[in-house]
Amino acid sequence: MEDYERELYGVEDDDFDSQFAAELEVLAELEGTAALTPSRSLRPAPTMGRPRLTFEEAIAGGDAATHCSPGRPPKGGSGGAKKRQLTADIQGTISLPPTPRIKRSRLEAARRLNFRPDEMEDLLPPDSPTRDIILPPSPEVPAELWGSGPSDTGAEEGCTGASPAARNPVLRRPPVLEDYINVTSTGGDRAFLVLRDDPVGTGVQSPFLDIRWRGHGHGPLDLLGVSFTSLKEKVDSERRQRLLKEAQQLSDTLCSLRAEKVEEEAQPTGAPAEEPAPHQDASEHCLWVDEFAPQRYTELLSDDFTNRCLLKWLKLWDPVVFGQDRPTRKPRPSVEPACGGKEATASSKWKSHEQVLEEMLEAELDPSGRPRQKVALLCGPPGLGKTTLAHVIARHAGYCVVEMNASDDRSPEAFRTRIEAATQMESVLGSGGRPNCLVIDEIDGAPTAAINVLLSVLDRKGPQEAEPGAPAMAAGGGRRRRAEGGLLMRPIICICNDQFAPSLRQLKPQALLLHFPPTLPSRLTQRLQEISQQRGMQADPGALAALCEKTDNDIRACINALQFLHGRGRRKLSIQVVQTTRVGLKDQRKGLFSVWQEVFQLPRAQRRRVGQDPTVPTPTLLLGDGHTGSGALTAEVPLTMASQRFYHILHAAASAGEHEKVVQGLFDNFLRLRLRDSSLGTVCVALDWLAFDDLLGRAAHHGQNFQLLRYLPFLPPAFHLLFATSHVPRIAFPSSQQEAQNRMNRTQNLIKTLVSGITPATRSRAAPQALVLDTLCLLLDILAPKLRPVSTQLYSTREKQQLASLVGTMLAYSLTYRQERTPDGQYVYRLEPNVEEVCRFPELPARKPLTYQAKQLIAREIEVEKMRRVEALARARDGPQVDGGPLGGTGGTGVQPPAPCSHKQRLECVLKGAALEEQLERDFFGRVVVRRAAAVSSEDTAPEPDSAERCMGTAVGRSDVWFRFKEGVSNAVRRGVYIRDLL
Amino acid sequence: MVQIVISSAGAGGLAEWVLMELQGEIEARYSTGLAGNLLGDLHYTTEGIPVLIVGHHILYGKIIHLEKPFAVLVKHTPGEQDCDELGCESGTRYLVTALIKNKILFKTRPKPIITNVPKKV
Repeated sequence: MEDYERELYGVEDDDFDSQFAAELEVLAELEGTAALTPSRSLRPAPTMGRPRLTFEEAIAGGDAATHCSPGRPPKGGSGGAKKRQLTADIQGTISLPPTPRIKRSRLEAARRLNFRPDEMEDLLPPDSPTRDIILPPSPEVPAELWGSGPSDTGAEEGCTGASPAARNPVLRRPPVLEDYINVTSTGGDRAFLVLRDDPVGTGVQSPFLDIRWRGHGHGPLDLLGVSFTSLKEKVDSERRQRLLKEAQQLSDTLCSLRAEKVEEEAQPTGAPAEEPAPHQDASEHCLWVDEFAPQRYTELLSDDFTNRCLLKWLKLWDPVVFGQDRPTRKPRPSVEPACGGKEATASSKWKSHEQVLEEMLEAELDPSGRPRQKVALLCGPPGLGKTTLAHVIARHAGYCVVEMNASDDRSPEAFRTRIEAATQMESVLGSGGRPNCLVIDEIDGAPTAAINVLLSVLDRKGPQEAEPGAPAMAAGGGRRRRAEGGLLMRPIICICNDQFAPSLRQLKPQALLLHFPPTLPSRLTQRLQEISQQRGMQADPGALAALCEKTDNDIRACINALQFLHGRGRRKLSIQVVQTTRVGLKDQRKGLFSVWQEVFQLPRAQRRRVGQDPTVPTPTLLLGDGHTGSGALTAEVPLTMASQRFYHILHAAASAGEHEKVVQGLFDNFLRLRLRDSSLGTVCVALDWLAFDDLLGRAAHHGQNFQLLRYLPFLPPAFHLLFATSHVPRIAFPSSQQEAQNRMNRTQNLIKTLVSGITPATRSRAAPQALVLDTLCLLLDILAPKLRPVSTQLYSTREKQQLASLVGTMLAYSLTYRQERTPDGQYVYRLEPNVEEVCRFPELPARKPLTYQAKQLIAREIEVEKMRRVEALARARDGPQVDGGPLGGTGGTGVQPPAPCSHKQRLECVLKGAALEEQLERDFFGRVVVRRAAAVSSEDTAPEPDSAERCMGTAVGRSDVWFRFKEGVSNAVRRGVYIRDLL
Repeated sequence: MVQIVISSAGAGGLAEWVLMELQGEIEARYSTGLAGNLLGDLHYTTEGIPVLIVGHHILYGKIIHLEKPFAVLVKHTPGEQDCDELGCESGTRYLVTALIKNKILFKTRPKPIITNVPKKV
């Protein structure tokens, strides 16, 4: 700022005054007081006693100074501290300007600020590189000219700019006597810089140096408690420190990266190397999980056998990928020996057990030289390090890992593109010519279509057997064997959490299935111990073991929990902390069966933990305080066994997700357990709970009182506390709900069809509810009268009447008997619709059923009666029409008899009519009567034949009846004749 | 059992009717139906070929002897006046009124009768 101010001095306008009035005042004061303390003899102090300068004066003075003595700074005293110190520096380094008088005035100002030039001299390194910078009228000057804000952004900038400015004052008018250059700002202001020699070579001063020697200054005038310079120096030094630190960090990171790379290169030496040096600074930004991720094969925490299997499988690809024979030597010699040796030593060991996998891996390669299983499928719960294993091993075997996440690229197209890109191409940059190894993460999230794409890639048969070495694939490059179009030549490692995902069903037979066993707690604890030691956390093994157990040996969760606790400032890990902190709990869905099992089974007798009191009252019913105490119990009180179990079950049940299913399973299974309570009190309580659950669910979903849903998960803990035993429960999948639902639907449909068939008169009094509850049971009794098994001809009148009423009743309810064939070949008559299902309990003995013959008889009677009714209905409907028809016909024939006449008669008739019509038609002119009469009279004889002919024509053409010929068909005329019409 | 009594009125004086079979339909111009309308004229040519004129159509047919002759029955329902129990039981009687031994079959396509021929072509 001071520099800026200073540079602007000659150029600025008036509002500078107001803007920096306060500082100007202070500076003026400094000047004034400094004059009283002369510390150097050669200072003539020309500006003494001038308390304040205006800009006009300053500019005028500056111009005057340049006129009389070129190079003089216009105003020595008004510069800032830095300016002065610079001048002092210059002074101290014997770079005396050619015009010592003016110079001295500025020096004086500097000295007034209590710098000690002698010390400066001493402190200055004689060969400071910055000295060599000669001051040209450098471009810094305009920068300062134009810099509108305080220029305290960088000390260096300010200083470098200040130094030439000190010697070459900026002038508003061109200096007359000297050389100058002019500089124009963006604002259009033009300034002129005087050119001058720098005989000594004094140049720019390094700001740091300035700062250093400035630190020795002590101030007689301390307006503040601490001298301004020292304050400033402190700030500067702080900033410098920070810069240095950052640079250090940066270089450290770079170094470590390089070191890691080197280690990675050197990894296959197999020696248990140290963890990469911990970077304290970087650790705050990255997860410990990433930071402490295993970089080498030997650091893997997962099961050795799994690791080896995967590695071996990957090795099987070597002939195809690297083009080597089976007892392979890797292309990278550093990698090879260790691997080969280890495998050799290890192979003898694990041949004994796990022979299946072994043989799978020992099996011959397929004709194209690839292993039988083209895909390795790693499955296991999250956090066991599957992805890490895949990466480490693939790198270890000399591949470049290409990872894709199957749940991201869901569409089959994207999947295919990614797979082909990864397996058929090779990255040119960076990977150092390593072949790709595709790692498909979370493949159980991929849709079946995408899996099918993968399968089709796997199944592709190259034409290799036919013509080896066909140069089909362009991307094949220099590889010898790899030529076939689209043939999969790269290993693919798939990773999934749930190996039973339906989409993976097709893939599994083709894959090398590697199941991830849970990490050994001992290994995990050891690793956690290492980590916590490196991080400076005190953690006793018991606490770490507790953490492992809490997270089910999930590596990721453990490390995350550690980091979390570390980040919260806990340096000491105890069991209490582990147990009370809600970390490390996985949001993982458990299977329904496991949830049910956990509910019904007491947890195994755990290892006694240190901080826990072992004498816990055996299952106390937490029914009452289950709701209320959940919040209060958490933190302070150490959890008792029972409450811990309570929370465990609560969490498990909540994590299962499908509350309905969970409850159904509990309902279906809880009666099959061994009940300890002979009075069945627990069963009653459990049923109460179930009813309560139903009520809650209904209230929640029916009335949208969703806040009630929070009470639902407490049912499984209640069941647990009621029924949990140490026996392994035999749990069946709940089906009763489904069955009941189906039955209800069927019954409802039955009733619906029944009701829809009932005659309206009956239906008016048979609402479904009343029908089911009141009518149907009795109706079934009514429908089963005693019928003699003889022909109906032999029935007495009363029996006939009974039968008729039975048939009438059944028809009223639209019931009938229908013949059905049972699976064993018998024929039975069933009631249709079978309302017996509705109103009979299946377990109860059936009523005495009607015999087959009776049912057959009834069915026949019903059919006949139905026909009769339909017929009667039809006749009743047709009756009036039939009667009307003949009447009309007779009427017609009554009219007809005079009409039936011969052809001649009709023709005559027609002729007469035609003649009449002819007369009528004749009058096409206006006056009808006269003309007609005339025409008739005149043409009495002559037009006779003509008119007759015409009349006949019209008669023929206009007859009321005509004939339509039907070609090619002879439809026999059939008409139904009923006997009743003949009788 | 259903018993239908058929009796013949006269001894040998039964009328002989002729059945006429047309390949096609007889339609009425108006919706009043066929009842009471004149169908057309039936003629015989000198060779004995029947000719039927219906509307503006002329049909040529042939006479076919029926192998199984038809009898024309007239139903006589006993009236209510004489319906005692026995009469009802005796039921309906049918009286043969005519026999049909021949039929005239018109199965060729009818020819149109053009009446309105312009005199000067």
